Amino acid sequence: MRKIITSIFVFGLIVLTTVPTKSYSNLPTNEELQVGLSQEFENFNPMIMSMLATTWMYNMVGRTLMVLNEDAEWEPQLAKKIPSLENGLAERFTEDGVEKIRAVWEIVDNAKWGDGTDLTCRDFKFAREVALAPTVAITERETYEQVEEIIIDENNPRRCTFKYKEAKWNFNQIPKFYALPEHLERPIFEKYKEQPEGYEQHSLYTTSPTNPGLYNGPYVVTEMTLGSHTIFERNPYFFGGPAKINRIITKVISNTGTLEANLRSGTIDMISVLGMSFDQALAFNQRVQGRNLPYNVNFQPSLVYEHLDLNLDNPFLQDVRVRKALVYAIDRPGLTNALFGGKQPPAYHNLAPLDPWFTNDPKKIVVYPYRRREAARLLDDARWKLRNDGFRYNENGERLELTIMTTAGNQVRELVQVYLQDQWRSIGIRVRIQNEPPRVFFGQTTNRRRFTGVAMYAWVSSPESNPRSSLSCDRIPTEENGWSGQNYPGWCNERVTELLEKLDLEFDEQKRLNIIHEVLYHYTNEVPVIPLYYRSDISVTPINLRGYQLPGHQFSATNHVERWYLEDPKKMENR
Amino acid sequence: MTSFIIRRLIQTGIVITLLSFFCYLLMTLMPGDPVDLMISANPNITSEDIERLRALYGLDQPVLVRYWNWVSTILSGDLGYSRTYRVPVQELMGPRLINTFILSAAALLVSILIALPLGILAALKKGTRLDYSINMFAFTGISIPSFWLAIVLIIVFAIWIPLFPASGTRTVGVDLSFGELLFDRIRYLVLPVLSLSLMSIGTFVRFTRSAMIEAMANDYIRTARAKGLSWPRIIVIHGFRNALIPLITILALSFSGLFSGAIITETVFSYQGVGSLVYESIISNDFNVAMVAFMISVSMVLIFNLLADILYGVADPRISYS
Repeated sequence: MRKIITSIFVFGLIVLTTVPTKSYSNLPTNEELQVGLSQEFENFNPMIMSMLATTWMYNMVGRTLMVLNEDAEWEPQLAKKIPSLENGLAERFTEDGVEKIRAVWEIVDNAKWGDGTDLTCRDFKFAREVALAPTVAITERETYEQVEEIIIDENNPRRCTFKYKEAKWNFNQIPKFYALPEHLERPIFEKYKEQPEGYEQHSLYTTSPTNPGLYNGPYVVTEMTLGSHTIFERNPYFFGGPAKINRIITKVISNTGTLEANLRSGTIDMISVLGMSFDQALAFNQRVQGRNLPYNVNFQPSLVYEHLDLNLDNPFLQDVRVRKALVYAIDRPGLTNALFGGKQPPAYHNLAPLDPWFTNDPKKIVVYPYRRREAARLLDDARWKLRNDGFRYNENGERLELTIMTTAGNQVRELVQVYLQDQWRSIGIRVRIQNEPPRVFFGQTTNRRRFTGVAMYAWVSSPESNPRSSLSCDRIPTEENGWSGQNYPGWCNERVTELLEKLDLEFDEQKRLNIIHEVLYHYTNEVPVIPLYYRSDISVTPINLRGYQLPGHQFSATNHVERWYLEDPKKMENR
Repeated sequence: MTSFIIRRLIQTGIVITLLSFFCYLLMTLMPGDPVDLMISANPNITSEDIERLRALYGLDQPVLVRYWNWVSTILSGDLGYSRTYRVPVQELMGPRLINTFILSAAALLVSILIALPLGILAALKKGTRLDYSINMFAFTGISIPSFWLAIVLIIVFAIWIPLFPASGTRTVGVDLSFGELLFDRIRYLVLPVLSLSLMSIGTFVRFTRSAMIEAMANDYIRTARAKGLSWPRIIVIHGFRNALIPLITILALSFSGLFSGAIITETVFSYQGVGSLVYESIISNDFNVAMVAFMISVSMVLIFNLLADILYGVADPRISYS
C-alpha cells in the first residue's frame, strides 16, 4: 500500500512540474521553425496545384510577378513595377476593332532559379504555353488565356510585353501567372505534351521535387514526403536576400483536435492558418491567457463570407417581404458576441471590410439591424398570420416552414443553425435542420440547387473581384450549362447582370465604385442571400516570432516569409 | 489439397473482379465528381474549364468505358495517377503501406503476445479473482474508444511526461544511423501501438479464454491427466491445439487488416499510413488511390481466409479438403 501511495505522489509531482507555463527555454530559434498544418498537400507544380496547403507552402519557394500584401495593396514581387496606364508602362490600343492592352513587365535584375539559372520572361512564356496545352489539367486557364501574346525584348530577356486580348481595368492583377523553369521543364513538356496529363505526371515537380532549380523563392525544398512533412532550406539565389530563419519544417497533423497537444509537446512550434477551427482557437486562447503559455493566438477578420443562400424557387421565399423578415429577425451582433467572442464581425453583404470596394453606408446599401417587430410586421403584410400554436400560416393553411441545411460535423455552423432556429421560431417560422456531409452538400445539394429553403456555407473572395459568378442571371446552375456558375439562390436581376458585365471594362475608379455599390444596393435590397458574418483567419505563433502578419486574404503570410525571424529566447528572458 | 487451393484461387480471382466493378460503380454513384468538387472550391472556373477538365479526366465517358480503361491500366502494371496528390499511385501508397504494415503488425504481435497467455491463464483459473481481473481488463480494452485512449495517451505521455512524441512516424530533418533510426521509429510507434493493441487484447483474451475452457472440459484432457502427462504438455499439446480453430478464424481476419490501416489511430497520431489516405481519397474522389486500396483490402481478406482454411486442416487433422 505504501508503495502505491508513493507511486501516486511521484506521478502527481511529475505532472505538476511538467505542466507548462511561460517558458523561454523551449522557444524556437532562427535555426529551425516547425509549423503544423491540418490539410494535406500535393506536389508543388504551380500550374496544377489546387490545394490551399500547397499554395501556402509554395509561397515560401515560388514568387510571382505581384502579390497582395497584408494591407490589401498590390505590390510587385518578381516584377520591378506593376504596369499601369498611369505610369506609362501600359497602353490601350485597337486591333481588328477590338480594344486591347499592351503592358511592359520587367523582372528584377537578380531574379534566379534555385540552381543559379537566370529567371527571365522566357519562363513566363513557357508557363503560358504549358497552361494552354489541352493535355494539361490546369483548373483556371483564364489567367493565362487573357494574355494573347508575350513579346520578349531582344536586348533584355527580363523585359517583355504582355498583349492582353481584352482591355479590362484589372489587366495588371495577375498574381496567379506563375513562371516555370524552362531550362528544366521544356524537355519534359516536349516529350509528353501529346499525352493527357503526361506533362504533369513526368514533371520534375512530381519526379524530383527537391531539385532546387524548380524554385525561385526565399527557400528551396530539401525533403518532401506527401501526407507527412516538407523541409525548406534557404535559397542562396533568392533575389530578395537571405531569409532569416535557416530551416522551416511543415508537418501535416490532420486531426485538428491534436494540434494543441502537438504544439505543447514541442512537436511543432507554430500552427498555420490552415490549422485550428475557430472554436478550438477561442478555447486555446483562453488557456494561453489563463496559464500564461508562450504563444500568440492571432485572429484576423478575412474575406471569407459566411452566409445563408435562399432558394428563390421556394414559393414562400419568392416574396421579398418574407426574405427581409428573415434578416430583421436575426440578431447578428448578438450571434457573433455569443458564439465567437466578437472576433468574427457581422456581415453586411458579400464584400468584406478588407476589400477596397466595401461599404456599410446606409445611403448606398440597405442595412438590416435586429428588429423583431419589423420582421413580424413584414410577415403580417405578406399575409402570414400567427396562430395559437405559435406558427404562421397563409390563406391556404400552409405553415411557414423552412429547411436549413449545412455541412454536417461543422460544430460552429451547427451552433449557428440552432441560434437561427430559435430566432426565427420567435417570429413564428418553423425551421427544420437537415445537414449533409460536405461531399454531398457541395457535390450536389448546393451546386445543383437541390436545397429547398436555406443553405449555410461560406464564399471566399479576393479584393476587387467581379462577383459575376455568384450574382449574374446567366450563372444560375442548370443542367443545360453543365451546372456551372455559383448563383445558387437563382437570383436574377437584369440590371445587376448588366452592371457586372460593365464592371470589368470600366477604367475609371470612381465609376467602378459606383457600379459595385449599385450592385450591393440591389443585393441587400432584394435579399437573395442573408449575410451572417465574416470569418476570421487564425494562427498560433510562438511569442518570439517577429515580422509575421496574418493577411486575412488568400495571399498567405508566407509571401513574406523572408521577413520572419525568431527573437533570441535568452534575450527575452533577460528583459 | 492442391486442387482445393487452385479452386479457391480461381474463386478469389472472380470475386476480386466482380467486387472491383461494383466498387467502381459505387464510387461513381457518390454525389459529385472531382470536377464538381473543383467547382465548389473555385468560383473562377468557367463552363469551358469544366467541359475541358471532364474530357481530360474521362469523366464524360460512360461508367463501363471508364472501368475498362482503369482495368487496362492496372493490367499493364501501372497503378495510375493520384489526381489529389498529383503523383503516381505506387509512389504515394508504397511508403504508406509499409508504415501501416509496421504499425498493424507491431500492434497485432503485442496483442497476441499479451492476449494468448492471459486468455489461457483466465481459462485455467476460471472463477478465481485472477480470472475476474483478466476479464475486467479485457472488457475495459474492448469498451474504451480508441480515439479517446489515443488522446489520453498523448496528453499523459507526450505533454505531461514527455517520453514519446505526440505524432508522426519519425523525427524529420535529422540524419540518423541505422540503430538510431530503429530506436526513433520504435519511439514513434509506442503510443499508436498501445492505443491499437488494447482493444485487440481484450477481444483475443475473450476468444482464447472461451476456446480454452471448452477444450479443457473435453474427455481427452481427463484421459491425458489420468495417463500422468505433464501439466504444460496437457495445456499446450492437448488443450491449446484444440482451442486453435476459433482463434485461427479471428487471427486470420486480423492479419487481413494489416494493410487496410487504422483510420482513427493513424489520424489522431498523424501517422502516415494508408488508412487516412484511403479515407481522403474516397472523400476527394481520387478513384485510382481508392480502387487500389480497395483491391489490396479485398485480396488480403480473401487470401487470409484461404490461409485460415488451410490451417484448420493443420490444426485439426479431422478436417480434410480431399
